[in-house]
Amino acid sequence: METAEFETQLLASIRQIGIPPRPVILEKIALEMRRDEPDLITLARIISADVSISGSLLKVVNSPYFGYRTKARTVQDALTMLGLANTASTIATIVLRNVLPPMPAMERFWDASARVAEISGWLAQEIGRKDGVRSEDAYTFSLFRDCGIPIMMRKFPQYIETLAIANADTERAFTEVEESRHPTNHAVVGSLLGQSWWLPENTCQAIRHHHDFVSIRAGAGALSPTVRRLIALSQLAERIDQEMTGQNQSCEWHKMGEACLELLDLSAADLPALQAGASELMRGHAP
Amino acid sequence: MDGLTGFLDRNECLHALTTSIADAQASAPALAVLWVGIDRFRQINASFGHRAGDNVLAQLAYRLRSRAKVGDRLARIGGDEFVVLLPDSHPSLSTAAAERILSVLSEPLEIGDVRIRPSASVGIALAQAGEAPESLLERADRAMVIAKELGGSQYVNSGDERQAGRSGNLLAREELAIEEQLHEALEMGGLSLNYQPILNTRDGGIEALEALMRCNVRGQAISPAHFIPVAEKTGLIVRLGEWTLLTAARLVDRLALEGRQVKVAVNVSRAQLTAPKFKQTLYAVLACSDVSPASLELELTESLFMDMSTVVRNNLDAALEAGFPLAIDDFGTGYSCLAYLKDLPARKLKLDRAFIVGLPEDKKSFAIVRTVTQLARDLGMTVVAEGVETQAQYDSLCAAGVDAIQGFLLCRPLTEPALDTWLQGRQG
Repeated sequence: METAEFETQLLASIRQIGIPPRPVILEKIALEMRRDEPDLITLARIISADVSISGSLLKVVNSPYFGYRTKARTVQDALTMLGLANTASTIATIVLRNVLPPMPAMERFWDASARVAEISGWLAQEIGRKDGVRSEDAYTFSLFRDCGIPIMMRKFPQYIETLAIANADTERAFTEVEESRHPTNHAVVGSLLGQSWWLPENTCQAIRHHHDFVSIRAGAGALSPTVRRLIALSQLAERIDQEMTGQNQSCEWHKMGEACLELLDLSAADLPALQAGASELMRGHAP
Repeated sequence: MDGLTGFLDRNECLHALTTSIADAQASAPALAVLWVGIDRFRQINASFGHRAGDNVLAQLAYRLRSRAKVGDRLARIGGDEFVVLLPDSHPSLSTAAAERILSVLSEPLEIGDVRIRPSASVGIALAQAGEAPESLLERADRAMVIAKELGGSQYVNSGDERQAGRSGNLLAREELAIEEQLHEALEMGGLSLNYQPILNTRDGGIEALEALMRCNVRGQAISPAHFIPVAEKTGLIVRLGEWTLLTAARLVDRLALEGRQVKVAVNVSRAQLTAPKFKQTLYAVLACSDVSPASLELELTESLFMDMSTVVRNNLDAALEAGFPLAIDDFGTGYSCLAYLKDLPARKLKLDRAFIVGLPEDKKSFAIVRTVTQLARDLGMTVVAEGVETQAQYDSLCAAGVDAIQGFLLCRPLTEPALDTWLQGRQG
């Protein structure tokens, strides 16, 4: 192979790693969903063609944090239980980790995201469904919430340091700290990515505002109740996870906890019971 | 009586309301109207057929009835809309009732062997002293519409709409339908970009590609002439605009990987420039792609400059600082103020088609085109003529010194695959 050609290809592959394009499977599903009468059987066939994705899909749908009583045995079961749009979002959560730029030391980040997502899904049923937030919405949102972080890391070499500073800041919003050091923040990046993956609009809005402690307060009218509830559930889930694992201490609960509890109609006294429930959930399907 | 559900029909509902209002005024306590709309019912009908749709309605009506309290009146108002009249109600009772309704209607439902999860939106209106029944119903309906706009599965109290959602602009029914389609497009992949080449008059080379948004929902294309105004009215244009920026950036990226350096021009609306985090969004686009900002040109309409707020100005400065070139679109249609040509560091000026259409016969148009082109050039700007359809127009524009041409004469807007073919054709 010519050196120049090789270099072009190498450059191409490096660049492609960096850009999270819309995964082909999501494109195929979107194509089918756009039809006048989407055909579930065709869709099931498209999804089943990828054994790893369809396996993960069934695992997620049948997990306790999705809260379905009936079990899905086939991809088609999963499709009818979740509906088309939700299936697409769930598949997006499955492929997300593989398409984002790989980073050293990101394992912990992804593991924490997965736990927070599961606890969020569980909390959504446990606290009671309201404002149109279903378990699967809470789960998807929590998994996507921080997807801007690996992208920021790739673009800005100093970003690791920024994360540490933002996690330790008790006053300013997380994104404000980011913006004091970079021209953008992971919430805006994440919501843009979510939009380009056709995630539900509420999910994208929630990604964008998940550190926005002013907007989630009661009476702040900028965000819809659905979006605020998604954010509150996820922050609470993160708090519970951090209490459980003792890892990744951030100051988000300090800044947002009160507003989140109020939004969810909870008080601090409810936390121990929720924590116990979450521990049981996580023990139930520990890897 | 409504045949399918056994509920009151619209007229009976109005009648019942009139009586209830009279009763309520006699004995003081308030009367509440809950307008219940089934979310995305159109899709149920479309996916499973009307018979299944009717079956769903009947089941949902049964659920409503089974949870109703003594004295509540139920009516079916439109295809998929119900009204619940609650006598002796007050705000907390009516919201509790709305919560109950949302919860009971969202239980899973079987259609054949398919299981769906329906949901509903509820608008609540409490009768005000002396209010006509029609007005009460209308307020409940409007609140329900807002609840739907907020994504459904929720209730909105009449009077809280402003707080709950956007700034008020009430839309006509057909606009609402388009708005719903836009939401659907955003979530189901119904948006796409077409690209119209802009070619240099000098050597026929590609000056840029203008990205044009297209919307396609359930196999049906919606004309930009219809959906852009609705998107602007509702503020959805901000999300559509963000989506466009990233999608255009990805095209530039992909073409660069294939060895083609092309600039794409993207329309940026006033709403985007006044929305929070415009600058951060631009940089987020750069973070999610590998494009150089120089290859994403932001096209701004002239009307923007007539009322340039500090926010807009700062955002434009931020865009320039980031390295995005600016172009002035539709030049000459508004109050073409020459002062901003001096102040605004735009590098390109796009002449509106209004000046092109009469060429070459219309001597006045020609004079304007030639003079503006000369002026813009002296200011260091490139001039593009839009909407060029005939060779005679093209020749006339060349004579006037225009730098680049866009229009059906050269090329229609192309889908992405068609663009690839077109680019390959030029190479060969």
